[in-house]
Amino acid sequence: MTQQILFFVFGAIVLGAGVAVVTVRNIFHAALWLLLAFFGVAGLYVLLEAPFFAAVQLFVYMGAIGVLIIFAVMLTQGIMKEKQLPFNEQWWMAGLMAVLLLAVMVYVIRQLPAVTPQALQWDSIDLLGMAFVHPQGFVLPFELASVLLVAALLGAVTIARER
Amino acid sequence: MTIQATHETLKAKFPDAIQDAHAPYTGLIVDRDHLVAVATALRDELGFRYLSSVTGVDYPAATDGLPPRFEAVYHFYQSEGGPLVLHVHADRENPTVPSLTPLFPSADFQEREAWDLMGIRFEGHPDLRRILLWEGYAGHPLQKGFQEVYYEADTKPFDSRWPEGAPVRAESRVPLGRNLRYPADFSMQGWCPTDDPWGYIAHDQVADLKDTAHPTDRVVLNMGPHHPSTHGVLRLLVTLEGETIKKLEPVVGFLHRCHDKIGERNTWLGNMPYTDRLDYVCSMSNNLGYAVAVEKLLDVKVPERAEYIRVIMAEFTRFINHIIDIGFTGNDLGIYFTAMLMGMEERELIVDLFERVSGSRMMCNYMRFGGVAHDMTADDVAYARQLAFERLPQAIDKVDQFFTNNEVFKQRSINVGVLPAETAIAYGCTGPLLRASGVPYDIRRAEPYSIYDSFDFDVVTRQNGDVYDRYMVRLEEMRQSVRILQQALNRLPDGPIMDGKPKGLIKVPAGEAYGRIEAPKGELGFYLVSEGGNNPYRYHVRSPSFVNLGALEEMCKGYLIADTVIILASVDITLGEVDR
Amino acid sequence: MGDAIVNVSAWIEGLLLGTGLSEPWVSFIMTVISAFVIAFIPVVIVIFLVWGYRKASARMQGRLGPNSSGTWAGPGGIVQTFADAIKMLTKEDIRPAGVDVIPYNIAPILIFFIALVVWAVIPFGPGTVIGVDLNIGIFYIMAFSSAALFGVLMAGWSSNNKYATVSAFRSVALLISYEIPQLLSVLVVVMVAGSMSMQDIVGAQRSVMYLIALPLPAVIFLIASLAEVNARPFELLEAESELVAGYQTEYSGMKFGMYYLAEFINSVAVGAIFSTLFLGGWQGPFVDAAPILGTVWIFAKITLMTMLWMFIQITLPRLRIDQILNFNWKFLVPLALANLCVISIVNKLINAQASDWTRAGILLLTNIAIALVAWTLVALGGRQKRRQYEAELEVVA
Repeated sequence: MTQQILFFVFGAIVLGAGVAVVTVRNIFHAALWLLLAFFGVAGLYVLLEAPFFAAVQLFVYMGAIGVLIIFAVMLTQGIMKEKQLPFNEQWWMAGLMAVLLLAVMVYVIRQLPAVTPQALQWDSIDLLGMAFVHPQGFVLPFELASVLLVAALLGAVTIARER
Repeated sequence: MTIQATHETLKAKFPDAIQDAHAPYTGLIVDRDHLVAVATALRDELGFRYLSSVTGVDYPAATDGLPPRFEAVYHFYQSEGGPLVLHVHADRENPTVPSLTPLFPSADFQEREAWDLMGIRFEGHPDLRRILLWEGYAGHPLQKGFQEVYYEADTKPFDSRWPEGAPVRAESRVPLGRNLRYPADFSMQGWCPTDDPWGYIAHDQVADLKDTAHPTDRVVLNMGPHHPSTHGVLRLLVTLEGETIKKLEPVVGFLHRCHDKIGERNTWLGNMPYTDRLDYVCSMSNNLGYAVAVEKLLDVKVPERAEYIRVIMAEFTRFINHIIDIGFTGNDLGIYFTAMLMGMEERELIVDLFERVSGSRMMCNYMRFGGVAHDMTADDVAYARQLAFERLPQAIDKVDQFFTNNEVFKQRSINVGVLPAETAIAYGCTGPLLRASGVPYDIRRAEPYSIYDSFDFDVVTRQNGDVYDRYMVRLEEMRQSVRILQQALNRLPDGPIMDGKPKGLIKVPAGEAYGRIEAPKGELGFYLVSEGGNNPYRYHVRSPSFVNLGALEEMCKGYLIADTVIILASVDITLGEVDR
Repeated sequence: MGDAIVNVSAWIEGLLLGTGLSEPWVSFIMTVISAFVIAFIPVVIVIFLVWGYRKASARMQGRLGPNSSGTWAGPGGIVQTFADAIKMLTKEDIRPAGVDVIPYNIAPILIFFIALVVWAVIPFGPGTVIGVDLNIGIFYIMAFSSAALFGVLMAGWSSNNKYATVSAFRSVALLISYEIPQLLSVLVVVMVAGSMSMQDIVGAQRSVMYLIALPLPAVIFLIASLAEVNARPFELLEAESELVAGYQTEYSGMKFGMYYLAEFINSVAVGAIFSTLFLGGWQGPFVDAAPILGTVWIFAKITLMTMLWMFIQITLPRLRIDQILNFNWKFLVPLALANLCVISIVNKLINAQASDWTRAGILLLTNIAIALVAWTLVALGGRQKRRQYEAELEVVA
């Protein structure tokens, strides 16, 4: 019962903040709304009894990506002056894409087997760690992803150094 | 080359343009149109590279066969010896004089001040705006006809102050006086003196210049007047790119009280306590400078004991100033007052001595023309000996120990705010600022006053001209001060402390004099003109803080905001002296 | 003597059950009570810390500080802080023109909230004397303290003040950079302890505290934490002599008070986290016999760390932003990374059956070796730079 109420509260936070991101006139406010949406997602993770993911959500999305976005926003020219609706004549296209995306996601989720709620008896971090580094787990994709990220990082450094 | 020989050379070079000043005035009268040529010759050929003082005098009536006029007065110095004085006449209706700022950047602020207060226009000055008063101020207060609010009479003592044998404050009798005049269409709220009241336009122009390789928005930032690290009410108008300084302009005058005009109203001795308020950290030095200047006009012989006492007080003052400045540098570096209070502790002990001899801790009013006001008792001497021989050397070692090899302090100060020697001379910088750039110029040696030539001390110099070197010069100068103090206290003779009887009202023979001393912050000069009366005819203060501040932009350009505050601390200004 | 704190909480629980409330309600009330207690601990500490800070700084500067003059100042001026707090609460709340109202008002709340939230996972004693023993304890602290940046950003941005904006820019550069060495040194501890739970980390230091086994991560963590809480040598965000008060410039009244409190709470929290991670938390002599002693030990350790923080605050000057960032990226981060790599290998190589002391000794030796290598590299670099500089001088000459 409490959990359901909390779920609706967090869901409302995520949805409301998400709508606000694309509708508010002030781009800095939009970035702050985005952070609130991230926070709501972290709350949803807590409800799913995945505190590690909640903390990662806070740490990575709010602490790193959010800051990056706000920093970029603060460096935007003329942010103090212009306060207009962030719509242009292609808004209907974007809306169409969003609806399509939603449809695809609903379709995919419906394909998944139904999950029955049950209390978790194991420590999710241990399992996560095992999944990442165990040969039977996802060690190859994990390492590939890290190599990709390192390559991107080095590329960024190279581009930034040239001048 | 002696001053006399230089006069002859100049006269030979410019036969039409130069004549000797009429006695009792000194120096040369230079024709207005030839001033720039004469100054160029002085700087490039004759070695007078240091323009110390620029000021103006108003002569509304014809004197000694000269017509009514404004006079611009310049004092040039070479590496040793006295001044070369140039007088330039300008007519009273439209007073213009060519500007020397392109040749001597040190004239920049001083010419603006002369325009502001005296109304002499300097043609060719790149930025001739008012400096101490605000744009839109009506009139030029140092002109002889100017009457301030609450004006009563030209000179003190005012008869009206003692109508029934008891003092009455004029302010209580005449609300606002007769001299507060507003234009007919004036309104307080809608008042805007010029199109650019706060001086932003020049900065906006710099701010609009964008580096094409680095298209960053530039920001105009107002540091002050309310800012924790401007050491008073100083406003720094700064254009930033990121945090890097692109343009910086000190805006001064928030404490302006027209010290010069007050000086002209006062009697000669009545000015002495006002000099205390110039650089309120070093009142004893200010007293000494004024006494030295007036004694050049008066024919007095200062008794030996008085000279020794003067030197003792002046060197204690130097010690206070330097240790406080080092402390404030620490404050600006963010040491949470610890360093400053360390300096304050020593200062308290020294001002105790000042209180014992003069009766006041900060505003000493101690020197008199021809001596000092009170003698030092045997107790005072013993106390001073204890300070000079035991306490202060230890204090210097403590500062040395905490600062000199402090890694963070070195990181912050080495190679920050570099001022090359040539620039320092051109900008008229004096004091530790100049000596840290490698110029061994100390008035105590270059043009000895009082009895400084009888003491054994070194002129401290360093080579790099950065903040760290200024600190090192100050530290070493404190040691030299202690050295002088020890010699003076050892040799302190007995005898009178005044030449003749102390007099309240004195008449000073007609003439002009420029008396200067090596104040802790640099050259403190008093330019005085007397017409033989009870009051100075012209009284001008050339303050080291004011002139040194002119070089601030040179020092700060290209550094960060964080550096600006410690560069400012290393210049060592007191706003009481800047704004006068 | 049993565990006094547990006994007290059991007694209260019994009392509540005795009134006839149902079980879930009682546990709910108990949660609320413990939340209040945990929120009050830092606030109460801070009230005395402010007084202690003023006293200590005064003594170090040859002053008296708050003293017993006046009727209400109390012995040693201890009432002074309460008077200040009341003043702060009753001051007019000024909102300057042109501020962005909502972020401007949320920012102090956010910062204060995060300062308090961190305390939930700090163990004050063995067993259940902890807000909540999360299995991600230390990661939770890191996550929330990274979110504290938004308070600064929002305040700096919304204040309509250039000093505040510059401060916000600096906060991004400073806080994000120093998070990296902080996290890397915490990772070493987590790896050696084998858990992120604060209680487990304390338990792992049963015989040897990690300060002895892992001195290098301890020092790195301390330096990075000083930067994270904006303490003196890294005090850039509210650098008084440069930025007036940085992002707090436009705040007054209790909103400013919240920043002020949060700053002190954070400093104490760093002491608490450091004590837990490296000083063995509540571990100490006789804890097994009298668990209440654990609470005494941790508070003693926190006090010690806070004193260290005070001394640094009062004596050190501030570095410039480029120097701070250079130090971080060119020295601290590589050192922390190297440390992490080497210790993870060494730790794996040590026999799992080895005693705590053997393990600690080997780790200590590894640490010393890494420090020596780093020192040699820095010295070599310095010598090379110096040679270059001298060559340049010769060219000039």
